[in-house]
Amino acid sequence: MSETAQGRLGTRLRRILLLLPYAIKNPGVTIDELSDRFGVKKKDLIGDLNLVFVCGLPGYGPGDLIDVSIENDQVFVQMADYFSSPLRITPAEALSLYVGGAAVIALPEMDEADALRRALEKLGHAIGIEQMGTGTGGIAVRWEPGPANHLRLARQALQEQRRMRLEYFSANRGELSTRTMDPWGLVAALGHWYLIGFDRLRNDERMFRVDRIKEAEVLDEPADIPDDFDPSRYRGAFVPRDEQDIVSFEISPAAARWFADYYPLRSSRELDDGWRAVELTSGGTRWAATLVLRLGDQVRAVKPEPVLTEARTLASVLTDAHS
Amino acid sequence: MRRIERLINLIAALLETLRPMTAEEIRERIGGYDQPNHEAFRRAFERDKEALRSMGIPLEVVPTDPYADQADGYIITKARYYLPQLDLEPDELTALRLASDALLGSGEDAGSGLLKLSIDAPIGPLSGPRFTWGADLAAEEPVLGPLYSALVDRRGVQFSYESGGGQKTFRRVEPFGIVHRRGRWYLVGRDVDRESIRSFRLSRIAGDLETVNVTYEIPEGFDAAEHVSAALEIQTEASTTAVVRFDARMRWWPEQNMASNPSTEAPGGALDVEMIVGNVEALVSWVLGFGEGLQIVSPPEARTALVEHLRPLVQSR
Repeated sequence: MSETAQGRLGTRLRRILLLLPYAIKNPGVTIDELSDRFGVKKKDLIGDLNLVFVCGLPGYGPGDLIDVSIENDQVFVQMADYFSSPLRITPAEALSLYVGGAAVIALPEMDEADALRRALEKLGHAIGIEQMGTGTGGIAVRWEPGPANHLRLARQALQEQRRMRLEYFSANRGELSTRTMDPWGLVAALGHWYLIGFDRLRNDERMFRVDRIKEAEVLDEPADIPDDFDPSRYRGAFVPRDEQDIVSFEISPAAARWFADYYPLRSSRELDDGWRAVELTSGGTRWAATLVLRLGDQVRAVKPEPVLTEARTLASVLTDAHS
Repeated sequence: MRRIERLINLIAALLETLRPMTAEEIRERIGGYDQPNHEAFRRAFERDKEALRSMGIPLEVVPTDPYADQADGYIITKARYYLPQLDLEPDELTALRLASDALLGSGEDAGSGLLKLSIDAPIGPLSGPRFTWGADLAAEEPVLGPLYSALVDRRGVQFSYESGGGQKTFRRVEPFGIVHRRGRWYLVGRDVDRESIRSFRLSRIAGDLETVNVTYEIPEGFDAAEHVSAALEIQTEASTTAVVRFDARMRWWPEQNMASNPSTEAPGGALDVEMIVGNVEALVSWVLGFGEGLQIVSPPEARTALVEHLRPLVQSR
C-alpha cells in the first residue's frame, strides 16, 4: 500500500474512532452537528457510519454488530459501548497542543496564560509526563520573548483595529525611519516576532521584526484590515510576493548545507565543482548585500551588480573599522 | 471486507476480549482475516499491528501461557486505550483551543487532540476581543511525533544523520529531551556509540526513525534546553566575554533588547555592550547581519576573524 493510501486510511480510522464516542454519548445528534464539529463533509460522514454498521464483535450476528441508525438526519449508535470513550490523546497530539500553548504563553499579558498552564499540566499527567515544559525528559520550547512593550501595543492596535506609527530599523535601508501602518496580525517564526501589516509609507505589505521597532504608538485612526488575512501565508518569516527583485549567487558546498533551511530559494542547481547556484527573492539591495557579507568566502558570482557593489562598500567600511 | 473494516473489528475485539487472543484465534474469530493461507494472514496481521501502533493505539503483546514456548497473545487494555478523565475546566479548554489555533500549518494533530479533550464540552465561538496571530513552530517536522513517543516510552531511537559536514552517519541515541529553539527542533540524548550527550537537528535526520527497546535513565536534573544552548553557542572549551560597540544611531537596539547586559558609554555617543560568546564565527556573522553601525572591540581574535572573513570581498575590488 502506498504511503498516501496508508495516510488516508489512518486519517479516516482516527476520525471514526473520534466520531463514534461523540455519537454514542449524544444519541440523536444531527448529521449537521457532527459535520460541523468534526469538520467532515456530510457525504463522508454518512460513508463512515455506513462502514461502521458492518463492523462489530466476533460472531458478527445481529447482536454483535454495531447498531447505527439515521432517522430524520438524527444519528443513533448502539451496541458499541467499547467505543464510548475516545482513544487516549497521542503524544503527537499532546505535543502539538503543547507547542502551540508555549507560543500563547510567550505573548505578554495573555489572559489565558494561567488557564493554559493548568491545562498543559493536566495534559502532561494524562500522557505520563510530570513536567512537560522542562527540558528534563520532555519538550522545551524556547521562545525569544521580544520587547514586551511593543508586543503589548501591537496587540492593542490589532484588537482595537487602529493604525500604528512605528520608528523602525530597516535591514534593507540600514537606517531608522518613521512610518504609519495598518496592523494585520502577529506572527512568531524562526525565533522572532513579526508584526505584519500594510506599510503606508512604502504603500505595500510588510513584515516588521518586533525587536527592530524602536518606538511604537497606537493612533486614533481606524486601520484597514483585509477580511481574508491569513497568517499562515507568512510561515518562515517571509512575505510572499508575485513580483520582486531576484538575487543570484553561487554558494560553497559547506554553505549549501544550511542555506536552504533559512532562505526560501526560487531555484537551486548543483555545479560541477560541488558549489551550488541559487536564486532567491531579494528583500532589497542592502538586504542582499548583508547576506553576501555573512557568507564571506562561501559566496561567488553575485548578481545583480549593485548587490556586489554594496557588499564591497560595506566590507571596506567594516574592514577599516576592525583593522 | 475492506481493510478499514477489519481494523475496526480488530480494535473492537481486542478491547472487549477478557484474555489476550493469540494470532491463531484472531485469524479464526475476527472478521476480515480470511486470507487463503497462513503467510498471507501473517503479512496482513503484521501490517495491521503496525497501523494500530502508528495511530497510538496501545496494543499489548503478552504471553498467553507462561509455560508455552510460543503463542503470544494480543490485547488492548481499556485503561490504556481510553482517554483518562482530565477534568478540564471550560477556561482551560478555551486556552487549549487558542493554542491549537495559534499553530501555523501542522494544526491537524492539535485539532484532533482538542476534539478528544472536548468530547463532553460544547464547541462554540471564542468570546472576547480577538486578534489574528500565529506561531510557526515547524511542528510538522515528520520525525517529531515518533521521536516524542519514543521519549515518552523511554525507547531508544536510531536514524541516519546528516552532519554539518554533509556525510551521513548511523546514530543510536537514547532520547533525553526535545527542544525547540529559534524555529528549529533538536533532539538531545546520549549517543550510544560516541558515549556522550549530543544534540541533533531534526531536519537533518534523513528518512525514518526506528525505535529500539532499550532501558536507560535520564540523568537527574538534566536540562535539555540548556544543553542545546551550550552546543549552539559554545564550541571552544571556555566561553569568553566579547565587547561590541553600537554607534550612536544603533545603541537603542541593545538598550531595548539586551538591557540586562553590562554596558559602558563609549566615545561619540556609542555604547559598548558585553556579551558572552564562545563561537567567534557566530559572533562575526551576527555583527555583519546589522551591516554598519557595529564594531567588535574585543576579543582581538574576533576582530581578526571578521577582517579575514571579508577579505575576499575587499580584495576583489
